[in-house]
Amino acid sequence: MSIPHRDLDVRPILRAGGEPFSVIMEAVEALTPGQSLRLLATFKPIPLFQVLGARGFTPSAREIGNGDWEVIFAPSGSAEPHEMPEPQMSQPSGADAWPPPTIELDNRDLDPPEPLVRTLEGVEQLPPGETLVALLPREPLFLFDELKARGYSWRGSLELDGSYRIVIHADGPGKKSP
Amino acid sequence: MLGASISRWTMAYFAAALLCLLAALTAMAAGYGYPLAGLRAPETLVVVHLGAIGWLSLLMLGALFQFVPVLVGQPLRNPALVLPALLSLLMGLSLLLGGFLRLAGVVEIEFPLLALGGAFLIVGFATAMWPLTRTILDAPLLTLPTRFVVTGLACLVGTFLMGISFSCVLSGVAAAPALVELHTHAVPYHALAGFGGWLTCTAIGVSYRLLPMFMLSPDTERASGRIAWWSLSAALLLVVAVMPLMIMFGAMAGAAAVVVPLAGALAITALSLYGLDMVHLYRTRKRRRIELNVKAAGSAILALYGGAFLFVIAALRGTLDVHAGAITYLVALGWLSGLGLSQLYKIVPFLTWLECYGPVMGRKPTPRVQDLVVERRDGPWFILYFAGVVAGTGALLGEIPGLFRAAAAATLIAVIAIVTELVLARRLHNVAPGARLPEGARLPRLFLPAEIDR
Repeated sequence: MSIPHRDLDVRPILRAGGEPFSVIMEAVEALTPGQSLRLLATFKPIPLFQVLGARGFTPSAREIGNGDWEVIFAPSGSAEPHEMPEPQMSQPSGADAWPPPTIELDNRDLDPPEPLVRTLEGVEQLPPGETLVALLPREPLFLFDELKARGYSWRGSLELDGSYRIVIHADGPGKKSP
Repeated sequence: MLGASISRWTMAYFAAALLCLLAALTAMAAGYGYPLAGLRAPETLVVVHLGAIGWLSLLMLGALFQFVPVLVGQPLRNPALVLPALLSLLMGLSLLLGGFLRLAGVVEIEFPLLALGGAFLIVGFATAMWPLTRTILDAPLLTLPTRFVVTGLACLVGTFLMGISFSCVLSGVAAAPALVELHTHAVPYHALAGFGGWLTCTAIGVSYRLLPMFMLSPDTERASGRIAWWSLSAALLLVVAVMPLMIMFGAMAGAAAVVVPLAGALAITALSLYGLDMVHLYRTRKRRRIELNVKAAGSAILALYGGAFLFVIAALRGTLDVHAGAITYLVALGWLSGLGLSQLYKIVPFLTWLECYGPVMGRKPTPRVQDLVVERRDGPWFILYFAGVVAGTGALLGEIPGLFRAAAAATLIAVIAIVTELVLARRLHNVAPGARLPEGARLPRLFLPAEIDR
């Protein structure tokens, strides 16, 4: 006996130029245990495979014509939901207690390494205890190095369009290295 | 600091690779090897392996140590193997070239240099592949560029397995009929596995990621890219595994007539789709003004299609034996080396910039990456480079050795100029002296890794 899929069609959002990531994550949160999500999108949402894979869902995708895709995210058996496998990620201890971002940056359409430079410029202005949110064109491996060296915590996730959203927290005085 | 995500020995691979390219071009300009010697003459084999292993394979491996972690979003596994792999490959290449010189009668020692060189090369390639393969296995899913790299690495295994069997036959340590048969008939498949499989497939994979990055194009995967990967992988399976096995088991005569045209059709499908994808990336780019590295990469991709076109024409007319040298020259120098040099022109300044200014990024004003090179000055060198390659290919097709040497000399001059510019970028020579080293930044070494002290 199987529970029927929960359906979510994000094609209208995508066609309107919108960002369906939060809608998808809400739908995932609302799934009952063992239930699958059937997602309809205008392209094969590869980045989402990684994000939901980390939460214990196995994607199966098929093209349904007109360049549209149907993806069924099925809970993979006993897999417990876990954080994204990202060894460089610093431990976001008490990350839920981070205040809303004081600085917001959209660095998606910049030449490399400008997204990096702008993000770090913002980070350097961040008072202790506050957070910054930045959108980057892709997963910023070089940025992780710098944040680690400078003693910041961060949380990040791949967005549906392949870009990367990172929230950076200034952990407070005395933690930064020169 | 030298972050975990900057590959420590990549610059050393690049430096060794460029020295081999300069040596190979110098030999060709001096008239050493093909076309004055035969295509399978030892002198030609010296030049070909200097180019294929010394220049292109070291370049590609150095680049993969940097890019595979970026492609899969995981740090490189077993990074301690990267330097031993380089040393083993250089040792193996030296012995291999020594072995060819022995065949040419230049070196007179009673020692199986080729077999020993082949052994060092196998150890070197295996040592280099281990960290790359383990890193790829860590990936949660294989993106399209990574899949091309996987096929490329599989072809590398096929290439060096055939290569070691040849070296054992040639140095007299093995005489099994199957191996002798393989050496007699499989040299074209060895060359296809190396240039068409390992190098071309990997270069296609890397370009699927690098070019959208530098053109600011959306890099969502398309069905065309996946079909290209499937058909290229199938073509290479036929050429790199099926045909050599058929030869070893004495079933070549009947098989070649079916397998080779099928592989050709699959490869043409793959290259056509790859071309369409590159045009799509170019059309959907957000960056209006294209930088020199992308323009030069475009010329390299054109050379790939030129090579494929000549291959098809020669195959249809039955003149592959005559024109194999010219086609290989265009693919190796125009496509693979052209793409390699064009991307070095971006990657070297980029990594230098990160290494030097990373620690002060966002804290102090730094020069831009573009300030490390002077595109206006360097554009003509790339034009000379590609013009030299086209002239050299024409000279080989028209069988004019004198013109070939002049064209190779022009290409050599262009490469010397480009290498000089890379050294200047590494030394931050083009940055205004006042802005060169803000407090906290550090001048990188030319090709050795920095000490870790942060």
